[in-house]
Amino acid sequence: MSTELWVEKYRPKTLDEIIDQEEIVARLKEFVKTKSMPHLLFAGPPGTGKTTAALALAHDLYGENWRENTLELNASDERGIDVIRRRIKEYARTIPIGDVPFKLVILDEADNMTSDAQQALRRTMELYSRNTRFILIANYLSKIIEPIQSRCAVFRFQPLPKEAVKARLKWIAEQEGVEVDEEALDAIWDESQGDMRRAINILQSAAAISKKVTVDTVYEALGKVRPREVREMLEVALKGDIIGAREKLRVLMYQYGLSGVDVIKLLHREVLSSRSPLRLNGLPLADLLVLIGDANYKIVEGADDEIQLMAVISKIALMASEAKKSE
Amino acid sequence: MAPIPWTEKYRPKSLSEVVGNEEAKKKFVAWLNAFLKGKAKKKAALLYGPPGSGKTSLVNAVAHQFGWELIELNASDFRSREAIRNRVLSAATMGSLYGKRKIILLDEVDGINLKEDAGGLQAILELIEKSRYPVVLTANDPWDPKLRPLRDAVEMIEFKKLRKYEVIRVLQNICRKEGLECSRSVLSAIADNAKGDLRAAINDLQTLAMGKKRIDLADLNVLGDRADQESMFDIVRTVLTARRPEQALAVLRIPSLDYEMLLLWLSENIPYQYQGSYQAIADAYEALSWADIMLARMKRKQIWQLLPYALELMTAGVASARGKPPFRFVKYRFPEKLRLLARSKSKRERFLQVAREVASRLHVSLRTLKLDVIPFLRVIYEHDEEMAEKIYRSMGLTKREFEALIG
Repeated sequence: MSTELWVEKYRPKTLDEIIDQEEIVARLKEFVKTKSMPHLLFAGPPGTGKTTAALALAHDLYGENWRENTLELNASDERGIDVIRRRIKEYARTIPIGDVPFKLVILDEADNMTSDAQQALRRTMELYSRNTRFILIANYLSKIIEPIQSRCAVFRFQPLPKEAVKARLKWIAEQEGVEVDEEALDAIWDESQGDMRRAINILQSAAAISKKVTVDTVYEALGKVRPREVREMLEVALKGDIIGAREKLRVLMYQYGLSGVDVIKLLHREVLSSRSPLRLNGLPLADLLVLIGDANYKIVEGADDEIQLMAVISKIALMASEAKKSE
Repeated sequence: MAPIPWTEKYRPKSLSEVVGNEEAKKKFVAWLNAFLKGKAKKKAALLYGPPGSGKTSLVNAVAHQFGWELIELNASDFRSREAIRNRVLSAATMGSLYGKRKIILLDEVDGINLKEDAGGLQAILELIEKSRYPVVLTANDPWDPKLRPLRDAVEMIEFKKLRKYEVIRVLQNICRKEGLECSRSVLSAIADNAKGDLRAAINDLQTLAMGKKRIDLADLNVLGDRADQESMFDIVRTVLTARRPEQALAVLRIPSLDYEMLLLWLSENIPYQYQGSYQAIADAYEALSWADIMLARMKRKQIWQLLPYALELMTAGVASARGKPPFRFVKYRFPEKLRLLARSKSKRERFLQVAREVASRLHVSLRTLKLDVIPFLRVIYEHDEEMAEKIYRSMGLTKREFEALIG
């Protein structure tokens, strides 16, 4: 049964249902027709249909049996390359069901693997290439080591064009009996750019607030979506209340279950947002990026996320007090 | 507002208020008298002995009682030749406006770093030579080889640890003035714990008295039950209030030091102790974050040589933070993180169990689920329960599981 979360409910199930990325889809259909394909590497920004294309390809190749012939892994969630290799090994032992001579391994977020892990992955790909094909999915092509790139057919996914996103949103709204005006669609586009997942999630949460979606409902939903604690944490830190900021941090980590890296990602978004209190307080963007980037590195290296994040918060408070002095 | 440390509030104001070390007191007063008559063999005195035995207090008391101006340079000041010349030498060689007498105090001279405080020792000898007023030095360890040139120029006066009954007498006095009810057995336990260090005993009394008018045996039981925690208080205090990095390093000599616990205790208490100085807090956390990284590298790669760096960073590294605010009394706290983690453990496990299943159903990573899906689910649940119910039922979740998911 398909879920009632619209991103999932309206995810195209077959290659034919995918309305954009025409060139990519056309070539994928060739693989289905010939029942043969190389390893694939899908690269592109979030929400541009990489995972959807991989799943649709699996569906078209194997029909109803696609789940039995497809192993889905997410590099960010598996604990290390050894776990990934073991799972692939177990899976690749059995022969494919049906008339396609290979099974699929879809490895999402492959660019989150270290280069050492990618080297190990490359050997695994060669080892099982007789009866397995890999689809690697990544946001950044440059983060995939060249020996892997050279073994794959590379597909670059472009951000979806505005008109295509708006048309899709309008169609979904119709199916759901929701009214959405043109201005609201433009607002959703502004907030999501070419990221379809985000666009649909905004639409659904706005529709939860009102069945008549307007600009106001869109912004109301967006205001509530951002983990309030992140922005509040920064506002408190900028005022110099480091103990208060730590309380907010602890809500994020111990109540919402965010990891240190999750919090860093949210801070990164804040740094990039021109409406963030960080920027409004005149902290230099370049300094902030160095701070967050350095913290990201340290959090991966270190053991205690809270200590690493407190180092960031205390530095933000220091930067703010210096910015105030130099005014 | 932070309370005034009782160690400052109740510093003796006259010789008779200085408790214990009667012999040292007599010797010191005799030397001062000789100095004033121009008959002293040595122009300076070195008061030496363990921390909290009353060395600095004695000098303060004399200055206060006779109305002398106290010219003080302590370990936190930079003690190069220039610093001593600029700040003390002129005061020591010139008369004062109203003929007021002066006394010069150089606190913690064993803290002089021969490399950094260039020429400091020479400058001290010059000061002793030229000063018109008595010069008093203090040190914990006078036998430090680097102090050898000084020893010939000073009258050596030894201070011993205070006796237990002396400590108790001071504590009783403070209790009376603070209107604090406190039985003798309680004071006795505090004194035992302080081992002759009056400053530590007074700090402990103030800690126990926080927000109370009465300390009794029940509080002591808590103190007894938390013996480790009590000593952790001392260790944290030593590190965070160290006036020089070496004092902070001293805690590493404790054989059973739980350094991972210390890391958490320091992290919890840095913002309280250094409140008011963003530079000090940022520096201290920077040192702590590197200590954490060293420990993690050490464990991950089994490189045990990294341990000393981690330990030095979390003690001397933290203590060398720039711009530390003046000492203030702080009641240290247990690391809140441990309490929160313990409390939310089962909750987090339930969350992860549901989240993994949902993430794989939606073909997204846990991180994408947490950052880009769950926040939308929260909004939906808040505004349209019916839609939310359709969503979680379609994902095969119960209401409770869904609530565990969105927190």
